[in-house]
Amino acid sequence: MPPVACPDVLPLRCQQSPLRPKMKASNLFLILFAFLLGISAGLAYGWFIDPVDFYDLTPDTLRADYKTDYVLMTAEAYRVEQDPGSAARRLAIFGVQSPSTIATEALVYARANGFPESDIAILQELVTALQAWSGIRQ
Amino acid sequence: MKRSLWLFLTLLCALSLGTGVGLSYAWVVSPRSLTDSQPAALRSDFKDQFRAVIAASYAATGNLPRAQARLTLLEDSNPIEALNAQAQRAIAVGEFLQADQITALALALENEADFPAPFSLPPTSDASSPGNIDSTVTPFPSPDALSFVFTGTPEIVAGQTIEATVILNTPTPRPTRTPMPTYGAPFRLVSQEAVCNPNLPDGLLQIVVYNSSRRQLAGVKVIITWDTGGEEFFTGFKPELGNGYADFLMLPDTSHAVQLALGSEIAVNLVPPVCQTPGGDPYLGGYKLTFQQP
Repeated sequence: MPPVACPDVLPLRCQQSPLRPKMKASNLFLILFAFLLGISAGLAYGWFIDPVDFYDLTPDTLRADYKTDYVLMTAEAYRVEQDPGSAARRLAIFGVQSPSTIATEALVYARANGFPESDIAILQELVTALQAWSGIRQ
Repeated sequence: MKRSLWLFLTLLCALSLGTGVGLSYAWVVSPRSLTDSQPAALRSDFKDQFRAVIAASYAATGNLPRAQARLTLLEDSNPIEALNAQAQRAIAVGEFLQADQITALALALENEADFPAPFSLPPTSDASSPGNIDSTVTPFPSPDALSFVFTGTPEIVAGQTIEATVILNTPTPRPTRTPMPTYGAPFRLVSQEAVCNPNLPDGLLQIVVYNSSRRQLAGVKVIITWDTGGEEFFTGFKPELGNGYADFLMLPDTSHAVQLALGSEIAVNLVPPVCQTPGGDPYLGGYKLTFQQP
């Protein structure tokens, strides 16, 4: 049966015409495209424009410079207190890593980012103390 | 025409549905990976730990500007109140050294004329936005890089015209190895009164400690001694009676002396007075001592 043009004035008849499957495919493609476009827009908005605001975070999510400063504070306190156990407890806030590893990472960061020599020396002192302390505990 | 309208509505529905799915995924199923957060976003107990380490560092270095800069990272609405409250919590769990350090920092901040406004970190990539990580991480701003507004505490001389000297954008000095912070001027014993109240326990010694702004101070160690012994305790254990309140039951017929560990005048010869009820029955009264920082 040859294709029949579908006049606008006869929509009901048109639904039964042989052209109907071709129209549906075209529409389906448009609908799918709109759906995908919506997903993309939603992802872009949710990830980049207005991402989730986090709160009640744990310290392991802190930015590296804040972590390093926390370790530096611990090192400053250690320099006076000379209590590696107390320093280790303070560093335990960062989770599963060993205190000496945490201190070492901070030392590496401090060296790489131009911290003053005095701060680096304090961090180095803490690293040494915690390494010795870890050895004693093992 | 109807077909076009139907198609338009369907596309709109598909677009909306897709947006909803995308948002659900981005906000609920898989939010952007969480790294590079700031101390202000920490859970409250971790903020307490952060404050405690700041106080310990301050106790070791005596570098108040640096401690202030670090405290501002926590974005407490009132850092001094936050420190005082934490000092009380530390006392409650027996962390007296930590309470001492936190109280010392709170006192030092109180003695500052002004607490500087929170500073802004130097512009980096939007570090607060998780996932938008720059490959080069900006180091923590050293005090040299921070801008503070310091107001000195001028010494007032009678007849002198005081001109406030405000130093703007002065680099903060690097920490120096000072032995211990100074806690400010010694507390003065501003009042000592005998209390005869039959509703109070016998021999009750009440102590209230204020700072120079007439605000009660928690976590201040009180030392009481008598002929055969002594006792140390802290203000703030009974917050319902005031943050700076502490009390002690004196021994009958014994002379007690009271002073604050931070340095104060000493109240001496505190022997529980003998009072009488309206019916004439004798009972032991007490004292109320008020210390204040000048």
